[in-house]
Amino acid sequence: MRFVTGLTAIGLLALGVAPTPALAQHQMPEASAVPPTVVLGFADIDYVETERSIDEGFVLGQLVGHVSSGLSDRLTFFGEVSATAHPDEYKIEVERLILRYDFNDQLKLSGGRYHTPINYWNTAFHHGLWLQTTVSRPEMIKFGSKLLPVHFVGLQAEGSFPVTRLGIGYAAGFGNGRAGNIARAGDSGDINQHRAVLGLIYARPAEIYGLQVGGAAYVDKASADDGPDVDERIVSAHAVLARESPEILAEYAHIVHEPSSGGETTDSDAWYVQLAYRLPEPAEELKPYARVERDKVPDDDPLFGPFDLAYEGFLAGVRYDFASLAALKLEYRTERFAHDDRKASLWVQVAFTFGGR
Amino acid sequence: MKRRASILFQSLLTTVVLAAAVLVFPGRAAAQDGKPLAIAIVTNPQTRTSDLSFLELRKIFLGDKQFWDDNSRIVLLVRAPVARERDVVLNKIYRMSESQFQQYWIAKVFRAEVSSKPKIVYSADMTRELVTALPGSIGFVTADQVTSGMKVLRVNGKLPGEPGYPLQ
Repeated sequence: MRFVTGLTAIGLLALGVAPTPALAQHQMPEASAVPPTVVLGFADIDYVETERSIDEGFVLGQLVGHVSSGLSDRLTFFGEVSATAHPDEYKIEVERLILRYDFNDQLKLSGGRYHTPINYWNTAFHHGLWLQTTVSRPEMIKFGSKLLPVHFVGLQAEGSFPVTRLGIGYAAGFGNGRAGNIARAGDSGDINQHRAVLGLIYARPAEIYGLQVGGAAYVDKASADDGPDVDERIVSAHAVLARESPEILAEYAHIVHEPSSGGETTDSDAWYVQLAYRLPEPAEELKPYARVERDKVPDDDPLFGPFDLAYEGFLAGVRYDFASLAALKLEYRTERFAHDDRKASLWVQVAFTFGGR
Repeated sequence: MKRRASILFQSLLTTVVLAAAVLVFPGRAAAQDGKPLAIAIVTNPQTRTSDLSFLELRKIFLGDKQFWDDNSRIVLLVRAPVARERDVVLNKIYRMSESQFQQYWIAKVFRAEVSSKPKIVYSADMTRELVTALPGSIGFVTADQVTSGMKVLRVNGKLPGEPGYPLQ
């Protein structure tokens, strides 16, 4: 029943809310400054062979529906819902639900559920696997990550100064931190009396197309189920060249945990560097890529310790854009989880988007 | 070890097949005709701005600048594919191919950086009608398609046809 309800919700998002492109074609756009309803969908189908102790074979990835709809010329609703295949069910998740008022370019205020903007990947690609070059996210910000808080529920102010030399932008948030399950946000309320606070500042210099550099900070008290209260401080940095030839993504996060009742402070570090290069004609559909990443997490970390989050990974692959809105990705990975041996995997993915024309 | 070798072999084999497929099915993108055209940037006559730097123009067309200086919302109008003026705008302002342009706006909407994609118009007449009717709107036509009801903006202090105008 839950599966049917969820798929119905995604179906409504993906198909039923907006007029189909065929009907809209060649019609005069509405003479209104109110943003129209826009619906996008993303999906992927994967195949995996691996030495790891996970299921192999064909895997249905996520079916994602995204809608944005103007309620006035300044008030806009954004929603993102995903359905993820699990062994005995589909899990439906409201990934983002945001109501935003745009005062101007420099100030936009919103409330709802976000992808926490302390990690570039988290807010650049969300759940649209077609948008990202690789098969999956870096381990530090993977779906369901415990390392960094992927979601954030609360209020956010954001803005930018686009027509300046540095193209400075910012985001500041105040809201619920991690839930008792530290991979989740406090959707139904904060688990403790300490709200999370975050800040992000970045620059997109006008002279260097695609370049973005920035840093962020996040402060919260985390209260894990069956764990101690922990004061959590995260600082992160990113440097990105969002081009096709080359594409360079590099991110770093430093996480400090201090037991609220006193005790030893622990430090965790996570980083990745990804390089990709779209080949010139006549092979411009091909984009080879590689990524190296490492998450260094102490075994005695009061919050992360029970979950064995240490990770080392290297991957290399090629993306083949066989249609304008669909891509085939072939990826070889070698990974070490916690204290396990290094394991190899082969991933093949077809990722696509629909509704965006 | 045997298993790892097998996975590595499969990866290499699939890469070879993929490369062969690309050679057999050549690129889908046709070469663009780069013949220069004078493109006029036009707005609703009520728009207070008369002159934009090329950087401002680019930021507007990229959806990074979404409000005019008087705080009214910018409504971006872009011609549908095939129009030659669209090709010029994609080449000179966006510096993107058609597929990169599509991907750019899908990502921009998905990231909630903009509330919607540009409004797509299918003719110069449609541009004129919308620019006339819609305060805050900005679009483009070839210089010989400018009519009354449109305000032509200077770009870097130049009008279409003047030496140094960047969109011709």
